[in-house]
Amino acid sequence: MLFLRRLLAPLLVFNISVGIFGACASPKDAGKSAAAAFSVALLTPGSISDQSWNGGAYDGLLRIRDSLGADISHIQTKTPAEFEENFRQYGAKGYSLVFGHGFEFQDAAARVGPSFPNTVYVTTGGTRTSANVSAMSFAFEQPSFLAGVVAASVSQSGIIGCIGGTELPPVKAGFASFAQGVHFVNPNAKVVTAYIGNWDDAGAGKEQALAQVARGVDVIYQNADAAGLGIFQAAKDSKRVYVIGSNSNQNGVAPNVTLGSVVIDLPAAFMSMAREVKSGQFTPRVHVLDTRSGVMKWIVNPALRSAIPTRALQVVDSLEQHMRAGTFTPPAATGTR
Amino acid sequence: MRARLHSRWLVMGATIAGIFAAVIVILLIGGYDTSRALAALWDGAFGSSYAVLSATLVRATPLLFVGLAVGLAFRAGVLNIGAEGQLLAGATAAVAVGLAVGALPRVLALPLALGAGAAAGAAWSGIAGWLKLRFGVLEVISTLMLNFIATYLVSWLVRGPLQEPTRVYPQTIELSPAVQMPLLLTGHRVHLGLVLAIGLAGFTWWVLTQTAIGFRVRAVGAGAAAARSAGGIDPARTTALVFLASGALAGLGGASEATGVTFALYEGISPGYGYSAIAVALLARLHPLMIIVSALLFGALEAGAAAMQRDANVPSVLAAVVEAMIVLGVLAFNHARTRGRQA
Repeated sequence: MLFLRRLLAPLLVFNISVGIFGACASPKDAGKSAAAAFSVALLTPGSISDQSWNGGAYDGLLRIRDSLGADISHIQTKTPAEFEENFRQYGAKGYSLVFGHGFEFQDAAARVGPSFPNTVYVTTGGTRTSANVSAMSFAFEQPSFLAGVVAASVSQSGIIGCIGGTELPPVKAGFASFAQGVHFVNPNAKVVTAYIGNWDDAGAGKEQALAQVARGVDVIYQNADAAGLGIFQAAKDSKRVYVIGSNSNQNGVAPNVTLGSVVIDLPAAFMSMAREVKSGQFTPRVHVLDTRSGVMKWIVNPALRSAIPTRALQVVDSLEQHMRAGTFTPPAATGTR
Repeated sequence: MRARLHSRWLVMGATIAGIFAAVIVILLIGGYDTSRALAALWDGAFGSSYAVLSATLVRATPLLFVGLAVGLAFRAGVLNIGAEGQLLAGATAAVAVGLAVGALPRVLALPLALGAGAAAGAAWSGIAGWLKLRFGVLEVISTLMLNFIATYLVSWLVRGPLQEPTRVYPQTIELSPAVQMPLLLTGHRVHLGLVLAIGLAGFTWWVLTQTAIGFRVRAVGAGAAAARSAGGIDPARTTALVFLASGALAGLGGASEATGVTFALYEGISPGYGYSAIAVALLARLHPLMIIVSALLFGALEAGAAAMQRDANVPSVLAAVVEAMIVLGVLAFNHARTRGRQA
């Protein structure tokens, strides 16, 4: 053990001297990095080209840059080890606010938080909070219920599919609520659920979708990020099969087959967090974002509005108003993403 | 020996130059700000004590374990490409045992968890070894397939028997401090696993070059039939031993990662360290001490690639492209050399 300490002593000295040196040098590059300026970073678990969960978050980051004049940085991370590494790197660089985009970032945020008290860490999903760590929780089940109502009204076969990336808690909660919505309209409808096993293999997504279509499914609710893009493709290749998008407004991805999207207005959610931090009013808590706060929405695809029975649209509108007023909550278990 | 070591440094130097050339070419093709990206690469890998002690060395640690595992196997002619699965088996066992023994003092609990990881890694590659020796199943196929089984097994375990008590998140609860690797420096992430890995590199080198067992391993690797007839060596026994030792090294790598970095079992605990390990071992031309250098190099590359994305907006998957190019480059180089020798 003694030899180890001897071995490490020079390293320690080196470390301290670099620390002092670093402190002296910092005013020089204060302009380009952190310190006084407002700087915001985003860690996504997948590619921001998915037009969904990750793309929406990146849009939020861009809006923070454009509206609040923040310096921004983004990185795609794969493993819990990388979550922590990047949280620490941003903390060390003095970033004001760092988003970890998913519940899976919460342990890393809780662990890193105390080391960088001047940086606020926010995870989109999760429940852990501490002095400089908050979580945003999305009531994904609310608009999912409305999507279920629409799906059941449009389906002719009475067999409706759900396809997810992997079996994450918020995805499962969304599907459960979607099924409730389906059965609200048609108690005899069948809901089949499949998971692709990842979030980025569009080919595998397409295969899962085609397998469901072969079983008679004619409306698919997808929540699979980049892998979900293959599901839209499958619907385009099939006859009279519709898709419901999720996370971002995916109505434009495949306008001819997309009934609508279960949307998390991620940019709005990110902006509200950024404003809170910038104005110095940050308080650590779990921010529950739902239909009432305007962050969770069901958005019909205007191009396919005619494919949905008018009666169904009316039911959805009235349910939505009740949700906004807080007089109706889907009976499914509350999930968080 | 001296000349051979010399040539190893030469290959390493040429490869580093090649890496830089490759990175620059890719950056130019992608239309990125090359100087800014390279500055970020350097900064993220070696630019500060923080980058070295909390990023580069942390990433180099698992690469060193699995690099040794692959290097040892290849030396004996065992084409173990299942280090990923063995690493996952090791991480899983370390966490499972770690959760059970968390109440014990650290001097007992941590070695128990690490030992379980090594044993699980050995058992996992032992399956492939048994299949090979008993039925002649090619280990290239069996170890690769076992990777997928391990991946899905982890997915199931974190949703089943090992899931955290609220049953919401697909992960285990956090290991108690008694099962967490001591940090080498407070405030930095580099942990005791690095020292362990470097020690094992030295030990593997010693065994391979200085002991009878090591001689047998090299003899079987050079030619199993000749080793049997000329040296009176039992190739099957040596092969079995190598399978187990290689798996144990990879398993220990997983255990070190779980107890030193992630402190819990998740899906995707490894970003493919077991596959990068093949590049690590090949770049070092299977020399255990050179594997330390190449693991550091790859650790630096991955840490630097992350910084490139953070600071210069260059996708960090660039590192994977460069790694693949290194493997191809080293293979082509070796091929050219052996052809040269035959001529």
